[in-house]
Amino acid sequence: MAAITEPVPQTPDQINDDILRVLEPPTPLYVLGVLFCATLVGIGLVAFLYQTYWGMGPTGLTHPVMWGVYITTFVFWVGIAHAGTLISAILYLFRAKWRNAVNRGAESMTVFAVLIAAMFPLIHIGRVYKFYFMVPYPNQRGLWPNFKSPLVWDLFAINTYMLVSIMFFFVGLIPDLAAARDRVRDWRRHLYRVLALGWRGSSEQWRHWSRTVLHLSGLSTPLVLSVHSVVSWDFATSLVPGWHTTIFAPYFVAGAIFSGIAMVITVLVPVRKAFGLEAYLRSEHFDNMGKLILLTSSIVGYSYGMEYFMAWYSANPYEQMSFWFRGFGYHWTSTWIMIICNVISPLPLWFKWCRTNIAWMWVTSIFINIGMWFERYVIIMTGLSHEYDPAAWGYYVPSVVELTILVASFALFLTMFLIFLRLAPVIALQEVKELWYEERSHAKGHH
Amino acid sequence: MAQVLGILKTPEDTVSAIHSLKTAGFAELEVYSPVPYHGIEDALDRGPSIIRLFTLIGCLTGVSFGYFMQIWVAYDWPLVIGGKPFASIPAYTIIGFELNILIGGLFTVLSLMFFGMFQNRKGHDAYQPGFSGDQFGCVVSCHGDQVARAQDVLKRSGCTEVRVVES
Repeated sequence: MAAITEPVPQTPDQINDDILRVLEPPTPLYVLGVLFCATLVGIGLVAFLYQTYWGMGPTGLTHPVMWGVYITTFVFWVGIAHAGTLISAILYLFRAKWRNAVNRGAESMTVFAVLIAAMFPLIHIGRVYKFYFMVPYPNQRGLWPNFKSPLVWDLFAINTYMLVSIMFFFVGLIPDLAAARDRVRDWRRHLYRVLALGWRGSSEQWRHWSRTVLHLSGLSTPLVLSVHSVVSWDFATSLVPGWHTTIFAPYFVAGAIFSGIAMVITVLVPVRKAFGLEAYLRSEHFDNMGKLILLTSSIVGYSYGMEYFMAWYSANPYEQMSFWFRGFGYHWTSTWIMIICNVISPLPLWFKWCRTNIAWMWVTSIFINIGMWFERYVIIMTGLSHEYDPAAWGYYVPSVVELTILVASFALFLTMFLIFLRLAPVIALQEVKELWYEERSHAKGHH
Repeated sequence: MAQVLGILKTPEDTVSAIHSLKTAGFAELEVYSPVPYHGIEDALDRGPSIIRLFTLIGCLTGVSFGYFMQIWVAYDWPLVIGGKPFASIPAYTIIGFELNILIGGLFTVLSLMFFGMFQNRKGHDAYQPGFSGDQFGCVVSCHGDQVARAQDVLKRSGCTEVRVVES
């Protein structure tokens, strides 16, 4: 039984020591990891500059497939960004105490993922220096964006999500930055002093802070549901077979939470091992995340089935052709990777032994990450390459430039997360301590 | 005014100290804690935070600005798009909603900065690093002739340490 071997923190001071130990000077392996990821980011930057210089020619994008790996990756990273808000805001409102151990890591991933996601439409537009055309601002030509367009809705949704996530993340971090300020003795003390904004943990500060967290949770909950709904409307409001469906918003939101939770597991399992955080990231946390994965995997699996059912039931030959092509056309491997990774691979999690087995959860989470990237790839590729007129059907193969930028986006995510690990507590100190006091109080009979 | 600091180990002891101090007639209290604790907030009885008002103002400002901007722009350069009216309220609800959340969130955080940080930036001479670790601090502001009584109440409330911070 994993629970017996996992240590339990004895005092709040021990919680401080254990979690703030992660901030101590890095090991050579850590430095090597950061350098490796940063090198990949550098290679991606070169690919991006190459594309910016030559235009979109070096990509595989050509008529009729004008959305490719970049938009796939954009949707993927927006999806990853959903776990932080689910864990921090929605589970906070539901008073799910187990979230306390994982919410900080998930929130940081939200911020990094949404920052990366926001880059991809800019990379995709080719002339990145003209991105400001999408922003409504008074100009001498008297031109304004079309506010009836889902692409403009997307601009507002993603930027709102990015800013609100950053604010939520930072507000939650303030008390922990103050704790780090009071402990750390090197140059970072000055950094924490500035970032903690004079936090003293006074009753007045806690009173306003608690209300702020509650309100930001209340605001973020509908926001997180809206963001991927708006992203799905980029597809659903078009007339492309396979895209034009009302199921897309809930289907995308469930998929986003599914992939987001999987990424939290993928990243936190090595952190747990490397920094000895077994007492905080316990098997019950993985058990609960496993249940969330099962729930969202079921919704996603049902949506896959329902898409095929509606294509058949509609008796619409274009819709039927699109879905036949999805399962058996030249991109059939992508479709079956998607189904195996997203529907089949989470099935063992119905058993508690699998949910509490950290290695099993980690491997499953990697399968889900792969599957969810392919889900977006399948939707975009099969939709655009086989529309109505067979004479206009096309073929798409991602180019080296696109794949390099895709890999660089993962490397950038890891680089940011690794740097974050050394700058701020990866587990919410004050929340874990709050839970510790509550449990102790209940054990003593205080209510 | 003098400040008397009592250091406690648990939130329950802190709540008990607040009640004892209030019963003894001390009204100017400040409490430092490593975690938010409802019992402390209830014992101090300072009412709900004013931040909720700023969240509401921010949300209403955001949603009003969102609709106004889109409708104004539609009439500034009128173009029929998709056969929809210029002021197409259902289509404009998305951006209205997003700005509602964005400005509401910004106002909430800015009001935290103002009321929680800026207004609270002074008068923390009693603060010590342990308050972000595992200690709770109860500070009583009182006149010089009341110091001994405040110390007595704090000691009887289970403080591990009691001292005068500022005389």
